[in-house]
Amino acid sequence: MNALKNILFFLFLSIFVFQVSAQNKYTVSGYVKDKSNGESSIGATVYIKELLKGTTSNAYGFYSITLEEGEYTLVISYIGFKNIEQKINLNKDIRLNYAIEPDVITTEEFTITGEREDKNTNEAVMSTVELDVEKVKALPALFGEVDILKTIQLLPGVQSAGEGNSGFYVRGGGPDQNLILLDGATIYNASHLAGFFSVFNSDAIKDVKLIKGGMPAEYGGRLSSVLDITMKDGNFKKYEAEGGLGVISSRVTVQGPIKKDTASFIASYRRFYLGDIVQPFISDSSKFKGTNYYFYDFNAKLNYIVSEKDRLYLSGYFGRDVFSFKNTKDGFGMDTPWGNTIVSLRWNHLFNDKLFLNTSVIYTEYQFEVGLEQDQFEFRLFSGITDWNAKLDFNYLPSILHNVKFGANYIFHKFVPSNATARSGEVDFNTGDIIKNYANEFALYLSDDWDINEKLKVHVGARYSMFQHIGPFKRYNNNEFGSPVDTIVYDNGETVKFYHGIEPRITARYSLRNNASVKASFTQNYQYIHMASFASVSLPTDVWVPSSDKVKPQFSTQYAAGYFKNFKDNKFETSVEVYYKTMKNQIEYKDGALPEDNAGNNVDNSFTFGEGWSYGTELFLKKRYGKFNGWIGYTLSWTNKQFEELNDGNVFPAKYDRRHDASVVFLYDISKRLTLGATWVYATGSALTLPEARYTIEGQIVSDYGDRNSFRMDAYHRMDLSLTLKGKEEKRFKSNWIFSIYNVYNRKNPYFIYFATEGDIYSGTLDIQAKQVSLFGILPSIAWNFKF
Amino acid sequence: MKKSKLVLMLLFSIVLFSCEKDIDIDLAEVDRKLVVEGSIEPGQPPFVILSRTEGYFDPVDINSLQNAFIHDATVFVSNGTNNIQLTEICTDQLPDSLLPTIAELIGVSLTSLKSFGFCLYTTLDPLMFGEVGKTYSLNIQAEGEVLTSITTIPTPVPMDLYWYKDQPGFTDYGYMWFKLNDPPTLGTAYRIYTQRKGVDSRFIPAGGGSVFDDNFFNGLNFEAFIWRGHEVNSTAEEDNGETAEYFQQGDTIIIKFCTIDQPHFQFWESFEIAAFNNGNPFAAPATIKTNIEGGLGVWGGYGVTYDTLIAVD
Repeated sequence: MNALKNILFFLFLSIFVFQVSAQNKYTVSGYVKDKSNGESSIGATVYIKELLKGTTSNAYGFYSITLEEGEYTLVISYIGFKNIEQKINLNKDIRLNYAIEPDVITTEEFTITGEREDKNTNEAVMSTVELDVEKVKALPALFGEVDILKTIQLLPGVQSAGEGNSGFYVRGGGPDQNLILLDGATIYNASHLAGFFSVFNSDAIKDVKLIKGGMPAEYGGRLSSVLDITMKDGNFKKYEAEGGLGVISSRVTVQGPIKKDTASFIASYRRFYLGDIVQPFISDSSKFKGTNYYFYDFNAKLNYIVSEKDRLYLSGYFGRDVFSFKNTKDGFGMDTPWGNTIVSLRWNHLFNDKLFLNTSVIYTEYQFEVGLEQDQFEFRLFSGITDWNAKLDFNYLPSILHNVKFGANYIFHKFVPSNATARSGEVDFNTGDIIKNYANEFALYLSDDWDINEKLKVHVGARYSMFQHIGPFKRYNNNEFGSPVDTIVYDNGETVKFYHGIEPRITARYSLRNNASVKASFTQNYQYIHMASFASVSLPTDVWVPSSDKVKPQFSTQYAAGYFKNFKDNKFETSVEVYYKTMKNQIEYKDGALPEDNAGNNVDNSFTFGEGWSYGTELFLKKRYGKFNGWIGYTLSWTNKQFEELNDGNVFPAKYDRRHDASVVFLYDISKRLTLGATWVYATGSALTLPEARYTIEGQIVSDYGDRNSFRMDAYHRMDLSLTLKGKEEKRFKSNWIFSIYNVYNRKNPYFIYFATEGDIYSGTLDIQAKQVSLFGILPSIAWNFKF
Repeated sequence: MKKSKLVLMLLFSIVLFSCEKDIDIDLAEVDRKLVVEGSIEPGQPPFVILSRTEGYFDPVDINSLQNAFIHDATVFVSNGTNNIQLTEICTDQLPDSLLPTIAELIGVSLTSLKSFGFCLYTTLDPLMFGEVGKTYSLNIQAEGEVLTSITTIPTPVPMDLYWYKDQPGFTDYGYMWFKLNDPPTLGTAYRIYTQRKGVDSRFIPAGGGSVFDDNFFNGLNFEAFIWRGHEVNSTAEEDNGETAEYFQQGDTIIIKFCTIDQPHFQFWESFEIAAFNNGNPFAAPATIKTNIEGGLGVWGGYGVTYDTLIAVD
């Protein structure tokens, strides 16, 4: 901790010294945006040709460079856009806003490359990947549904949660350890239909950034990763409509200026309608009449440039899955709506050329509800989490050598872990108190991207986080059978438990010759809210719970190092990273815990605690442009866990421990109108627990399980292809057809294993056969997209 | 016709058409653990079946089954005042007239029992016949291992009322309903069985879960229903059709309703979930909560009441 203090001290000192010695320094600053639609450009490179130094535009397109007086050439570059070069005479502070033009030259003649060519080797950033949403759209997709969460699974260090699943694991971290942000708001459950689709409608998305290590100080609250997704702002120039018709869902997006160049909007709607399509074919006499499943997503955003210094953004997302099941014969009915709601209001303010502030006020909510009825019985279960979140994020750019970020974040959490009501006729069952948990989470952070010299650049930062679990709260102390023996009651606002800690975040880059560099990072993270899962996959029923008197915050330490090198004019990008990560205070349900134990009880009474660790290496080779482009990723890793009360206290592999994980992704432009996309993935089989012995009681055969996760399913591998055919280019109307084939060589990948028992043990005819179920065989699909 | 074709096409292109295949799984040799299946009821002798687990895929034949039983174990049951050793009896040594009683007590069908010899430990000493309110400890020494357990026979809680009601949409089939007045103590647990007179050879645990406790209705007076249970792996037509969970009008139903203690309840609850979940990929491997120290299985006392209902709506 002392080392950290020293670093921070020197950091302040260096900024201070710099300020004092600064004579005749001036600032050039402004915004970078896309000329065609006015969208701000995130991460565009702005650099000074003479100095070979520069900066990148922030999440709102703002950049600022402070230099000694003089004449310079400013270069603005961004992937897929034409470079802008401009001579400037810096003898006073100047404001220059740039509108960059999309590069319409075909890839064959790609002479300029947009994004700063050596960003990969040059930045003091590692284990971070940005995705180009337009390229993602040309990749093959299950049912033709473009899904950014499934695309990030193709990156090294990121593992899929299973066949067709949009859930992901990063460097041995659990699904609750990923911070998923949509326009700054946390999305607590990013999946539809038990994981087959993510909640992100790619038409409404501008930018996707995944951070799997070396997490900068501005992010916190999760151990393993940040997936930062930015929605489009809406076209400032003209009205535009786009959409697509797919086999199982359709979507439509409209955007346009409210006032040209000043205010714009975008609204996007997606509806899954497979269930609706089959509705008319369920005959009126069928006992399942009334059974349906669908989901929808609605995204909307308004943004308003109030003045040269102020800009407002209002974004919202609302999505629901609705499953209703009816069996009229049995008088059985079920209704299950679940989904997320977010509203985020942000205000950008420029105090001066060097100080930028973003203020956010965010509401986010995830709710799950299930209602069952049969005859005179009614059962309702609901759970959820609601956050009120306020953030101040400052960006201070005192010189070309420093990019300082600091800020504060406050979140008020309300948890409804799992509450049930039940009745039979007039009698209400006693399902316990409606339990709600409340907590305050607070964080302060400071970081600097600092060019120390030609060779060395560091990102050094720290985050101080605090968590207060507050009353009203009831702690149920139960006996070993789960019946309460006594309860401790905490009043409104009374502190149940307070935790706090410092999280250092350091990344350093050292440049080598020949466009290569080595990087290393050290990060520590606290996570104060947790999600545990009963099942082997994440389900919408999984609940979030706060740290409490029983549950300590999760804590991770990650070391990563890497070698980065670009070849052939940065056409090829390569990297090798190694990492080692430890995770303390990990949570699992106790052996034999049941979901119904949570009713009228503290969920954390069913938890047991242990630790986890993960290490591995990730190789990445990317061809960035050309007719043929794409990447190959490979991960070799180990993820283990140890819990005193599980598996007899012995170490066991995590269920997402994958020794090998590889992916090949490429796009090939056959002609101007035709693009071929292909992906191939390989992953070591999932770890699972299998019965090793059987016994019989009352004539019923049951299993005695072996060591936890000691069995491996067969390896998973699959190839997908897609063909995008662009319609004839017309002035107003653009369209394309996307044909895709999932699982081209029809690999029977294991989805789960079960045991079929036939015959009767007492007549000696018993036969037990293991069966492996595969989900998707070869699966073609087609989608049509339009834009005008 | 056209409609259904369209549906088929749609289903073909979109619906999750899963497929399955047989696979071979190599499991390492494992330690075979001792399994206890023991019970005691008021006015009845204690019964204990002692066996060992077998490898999951071990072949099954009469020999392997017979070999699963553990012979020559020292089994003691104590009720606090008396400590009595149980003796081993194999069913092939018993007269046929006793077999229905044995089938009942060890919870297997009479057919199974007749086709296959069971060995169990019991006593004919009336000093050790079950009594309501007493606690029974079990001590087993077998093949160098020691197993212990404790259970009680709780005071029976009688059911207020049973009745039968046709299920909507059916004219002759329906569930059996009951009205229970749960005592004020939290933690009371129950197990329920039915036997259709002249149809079932024994009391069969209720379907869809034969045990429940008062976690959600402590001290309440409420109504609920039960499904008709089946013999394990029953292939009978009536157990596999649309009405498999229902009783039929005209059935004479004998109901065995028992009060059991919490550890005993937790065993059956987890046992039935494990049996039900077998192979469900979305469920974690179900751990069966045994109340046997040093082994697997159950040692359970039952506070029993019997009633008869003639199913008429």
